[in-house]
Amino acid sequence: MSSFRRDKKEEEDTGGNIFQNLDKTALLQEARYFNSTPVNPRKCVQILTKIIYLLNQGEKLTTQEATDIFFATTKLFQSKDVVLRRLVYLCIKELSSMAQDVIIVTSSLTKDMTGKEDLYRAAAIRALCSITDSTMLQAIERYMKQAIVDKNPAVSSAALVSALHLSATVPELVRRWVNDAQEAIMSDNAMVSYHALAVVAGARKNDRLSTVKLVTKLSRSPLRSPFALCLLVRYAAKLAEEDQTEASEPYLEFIECCLRHKSEIVVYEAAHAIVNLRKSARDLAQAVSVLQIFCGSSKATLRLAGARTLAKLTTKHPNAVAACAVDLENLISDPNRSVATLAVTTLLATGAESSIDRLMKQISTFMSEISDEFKIVVVRAIRRLCTKYPRKHQSLASFLAGMLRDEGGVQYKTAIADAIIALIEENPDAKETGLAHLCEFIEDCEHTSLAVRILYVLGREGPKARQPSRYIRYIYNRVILESGPVRAAAVSAVARFGATCEDLLPNISVLLARCQLDDDDEVRDRAIFFSAILNSNDPQLISDYITNVPTPNPVLLEKALHDHLRLNPDKPFNILSVPSSEPTKEPEEAPVQIETRKQPVVSLEELYSEQLKVVPGIEKLGPPFKTCKAIDLTEPETEYRVRCVKHIFARHLILQFECLNTLSDQLLEKVRVRLESAPGYKILCEVPCEQLPYDKQGSVFCLLEFPRGPIETLGTFGATLEFSVRDCDPTTGLPDGGDGYSDTYPLEEVDVGCAEQFRAHVAPDDWEASWERAASAAEASDTFVLSQSDINEAASAVCDHLGLPKAAISGDAVKEIRGGGLWREGTPMLVRARLVASQGSVTMKLTARSPREDVATLLLAAVG
Amino acid sequence: MGLLDKLSSWMGGGGKVVTVLVLGLDNSGKTTMLRTLTTTEQEGQRQGPGASSVPTVGQRQENFQSGGVSFRAWDVSGAARLRSLWERHYRHCDAVIFVVDSADHLRLVVARSELELMLSHPDMSGRRLPLLVLANKSDAPHALSAPHVASALGLERITDKPWHVCASSALSGEGLGDGVSWLARQLREKH
Repeated sequence: MSSFRRDKKEEEDTGGNIFQNLDKTALLQEARYFNSTPVNPRKCVQILTKIIYLLNQGEKLTTQEATDIFFATTKLFQSKDVVLRRLVYLCIKELSSMAQDVIIVTSSLTKDMTGKEDLYRAAAIRALCSITDSTMLQAIERYMKQAIVDKNPAVSSAALVSALHLSATVPELVRRWVNDAQEAIMSDNAMVSYHALAVVAGARKNDRLSTVKLVTKLSRSPLRSPFALCLLVRYAAKLAEEDQTEASEPYLEFIECCLRHKSEIVVYEAAHAIVNLRKSARDLAQAVSVLQIFCGSSKATLRLAGARTLAKLTTKHPNAVAACAVDLENLISDPNRSVATLAVTTLLATGAESSIDRLMKQISTFMSEISDEFKIVVVRAIRRLCTKYPRKHQSLASFLAGMLRDEGGVQYKTAIADAIIALIEENPDAKETGLAHLCEFIEDCEHTSLAVRILYVLGREGPKARQPSRYIRYIYNRVILESGPVRAAAVSAVARFGATCEDLLPNISVLLARCQLDDDDEVRDRAIFFSAILNSNDPQLISDYITNVPTPNPVLLEKALHDHLRLNPDKPFNILSVPSSEPTKEPEEAPVQIETRKQPVVSLEELYSEQLKVVPGIEKLGPPFKTCKAIDLTEPETEYRVRCVKHIFARHLILQFECLNTLSDQLLEKVRVRLESAPGYKILCEVPCEQLPYDKQGSVFCLLEFPRGPIETLGTFGATLEFSVRDCDPTTGLPDGGDGYSDTYPLEEVDVGCAEQFRAHVAPDDWEASWERAASAAEASDTFVLSQSDINEAASAVCDHLGLPKAAISGDAVKEIRGGGLWREGTPMLVRARLVASQGSVTMKLTARSPREDVATLLLAAVG
Repeated sequence: MGLLDKLSSWMGGGGKVVTVLVLGLDNSGKTTMLRTLTTTEQEGQRQGPGASSVPTVGQRQENFQSGGVSFRAWDVSGAARLRSLWERHYRHCDAVIFVVDSADHLRLVVARSELELMLSHPDMSGRRLPLLVLANKSDAPHALSAPHVASALGLERITDKPWHVCASSALSGEGLGDGVSWLARQLREKH
C-alpha cells in the first residue's frame, strides 16, 4: 500500500511538469503538424493544450506567429474528433485578438453552429462572436437570432452571453435581438433565463422608462430562475435608489417579497439589496433577521455572506447589527477563519465599551492561527476602536504592542505601526505609552522602511513628551547598530530634539558631532547640516529647516527638477514652487472588508500633468502651482457634459474644459470654448479639441495670463462651447458624408476666486510664534457680518472659501480659524479669523499678514 | 464507417486521403458544387438541388469520396478581398479544382489572371498537381462550352501539370462525376 502511494506521488510530481519549460519556438514548429493529412487527434489535442497553456501564462506572440498558429489551427476542421474540435474553438478564441484575417473561419463556424452536433454548437457560437467584427455581424445575425431561442439551453445561453459581449461594441445590432431574448427570459432553464434578462436589460440601460417597464412586468410574473431573480432584485434596487419618491414603493415591496423566496441565493440578494439601500429602509429588521439565520447556517458560504453583510451594515446602522451580537459571538470560534475574523471585527465595531476586554481576550486565542491578511483586518478594527473609545487606549495599545512582538510580514507590521501612530496622534493620553511601544519595536525591527517611519514619528512627537531625553537613547542606539538609511533617519530625529528642547541642545551637539565621522555619506551630510543649523541659534532658520520643513510631492518635484535642468539650469531652483504633498486621506467609508483593494493615491496635479503637455509653451510656465477640482459647467444628463479644471501657475491660468459627447449619432469637430474674458486677463492661446466622438472625453485648453495686481484677479468668465456637428452612424461611429453644421452650446460661468490662488495648510504647532514674527509684515484686517446663523456652519463656510481644511477651526464659543498658505507667486501669508455669534448672526474679524500688502488685501476682498 | 467507405476501400485498395483545394471567383458555384458532391455521395438527394447557399466567408471544409480516393476539400471564399488567403493552402494541397462561371463572360479574364497568379506562386509552380477546371453553370443560357473556356483561360499553355476541363452544372450534378473521377484517377496514378 505504501509503495503504491509513493508511486502515485511520483506520478503526480512528473505529471505536473508536462507543461513547464515550454518553448515558444519549439511549439511553433510543432503546430506545423496540423497541416498534415490526416491528423492524429490525440497528438493535436496535446499541442493545442500546450498553445493555450502558453498563452494563458502570459506569453506574447507576434502578429506573424499568432497568424501562423491560427491558420495551422484552422486546418484541424478536417478532423471530426469532438475533443479536438472543441479545443480548436478555444484556441481560435484565444488567438482572435492577436492574429490577422481571423474572419476566414466564419463559414466553418457558422456551419458548426447550425449543424446537428450539439456538442459543437455552443462553443462555435462563442468562438464566432469573438472573431467577427461589426461589418461581418450582419451576415450571422439570422443564425444568432435562431440560436437565442434554440431549445438546447447550452446553445441559447452561449448565444445570449455572446450577445452581451457584443453589445459593448455594437449595441445597436444587439438591440435588434431583444425580442428573441425576451422570449428566452421565460425559458425553463435557470441559466438561459438569467442571461436573457441580462441582455434585455443591458439593451435598455440608457432608457430608464423601459427599464422601469421591464422590472415592473417581470416582478409580477413568476420568474422561475433564481439567478434571473437575483438580477431582477439588483435592477429593482437600482431603480429604487435612483427614485427617492413614493414611486419606488413597488420595487421595495418586490424586494421584500423576495426575502421569503425558497432559494437561498435570492433571499441573500434581497437582504443585501435592502441593507445597501441608501435611504433608511422601513424595515431593516426583516433583512437583518434573514442574515442572522444565515449566520447560523451549516454552509460556510452562507455564514460568510451573512457575517460579511452584517459587517458592512455596521457603519450605517450599528444598532441593527447589535441585535445579532449573540449569533456573531458564536461565529468567533468558526473553523472558517474569514468568517471568524469578520465576526470579531463586526463585534468590535458595534460592541459596547464594556465588552471590549472580553473580545480582545477571545481574539488573542486565535490570532496566531489566521493569516496576515486577516490580522491586518483585525488591526484596522482595533484602530477604529481606539478612536471610538479613547479611554480604552491602555488595553488596546498593549494588545497592539503584543501583536507587534509576534512574527509577521512587513504589511502586517506596518498596519500595526500605523494604528499605534494614529493612536499617538489622536489621543494625548496614549502618547507616552504608544511612543514607548514604538521605541521597543525599533530595537529589533528588520524592515528598514518601517524603522525610518517610526524614527520620523519619534522625532516629531518625542520632543513634546514629558521627558524627551528617554527617547534619545533609543534613537541613538539606531545610529550605532543599524544600516545607512536608518542611521540617517535617526540623525534627523535627534536633530529635531535639539531644535525643540533647549536644555538637551549641548548633549545633542555632542551626538551629532560623533555622527560626523560616519561611514555613510548621507549620514555625515545630515549630521554636519543639522549641527550647523543648530549652532546658528537662529530660531527662524531652525524652524524653517528642521521643525517645519515642507515636504514636496515627490512626483511633481522630480518633474519640476527635470524641467528646470532642461530650461534654465543656471538659475537657482525654488523648492517652494512645487506643491507640497498632502497627507493621504483615508477612504471615508470604513466597512470591514476581507479583500483589500489598493488604489494608488495620486494627487490632482500628477493626474493632469500628462494631459497638460499638449498646451504649447507649458514648460515655460514653471511647475503647476495648484490644480483645482473639476467643476460642472452643465446640468447633468444633458447632450454635452463639460467640466472645468483650473490649473494655476505662478503668473498664468490654464482652464481645461473636459467635454463629453453623450449623443451616439453625432461627431463633434473643432470643439473650442469662447471665453468672455474678465477685465485684466489676457488670453494667450487656445488648444481646441479636433474631434469629439461619442462617449470619449476630450479636452479644450485655454491659457490665460493673470492681471498684475492681485485684486484684479477676482473675476468671472462667460463661456460658450462652439463646435461643428457631423451626423454619424450610431453603430460604427463613422461620420456621414457632408461638412456638418456649426453650433454653440451655452455653459455656466467660470469663477476665479481667492482660494484657487492659495495653497493653504493648517496652522503648524508653533503658529503663534510665526504670527508674532510676521507682526512687522503688512497686515490687512476687516470685520464682516456673515449670513449664516449657526457659528459652526459659518466657520466651515469660511474655511471652504479660503481653501483651508476643516482642521483649522478651533475654540467653542469664539471660533478661531488659523491657517497659513502660499500665494501662487510664492509669497507666504498667514490668516486668522475670529468668529462670534451674536443676535442671530455671525460676526467675523479676519486678519491677514503677508510680506506683500496686496496679497493680504486680496484675501479680504475675496471674502467681502 | 459507411458502406461506401468499405466498398471504395475494397475497390480502390487502401482508400487514399488527399487534400484538394477548391478555388474560383465568387459566385462561381464552389460551395454548391461541394454540397452536391457530398450529398450525392453520402446521403442521396436528401437536400434536393435548388437549395441556395450563402456566400462563404473565409473557408469551409468538406469531405467526400470518389473512385476509391477520400477527398478532404477546402472550399475557400472567392470574394475579392479574401482571395489573398488562398496561398495559405497551396503548400499542403494535393490537387486543385478551379471552378469557373462559364456564363460570366465578363469576368473570365479575372478568372484567368487569378489562375495564372496561383500557378506562378512559388508553392505551386514546379509541382505536378492535377488541375481540374470545371466550366460550371453549363445549363445557363449563353454558357460557353468547355473548349471555349479552356482557350479563354489559356489552359493550353500549362505544361507542367496534368489538367482537365469539363463542363458541369453544380446544381444538377451533371458533369461533376466525370471531372472528379478523372481527378481520382490522376491521384491514384501519381502515388
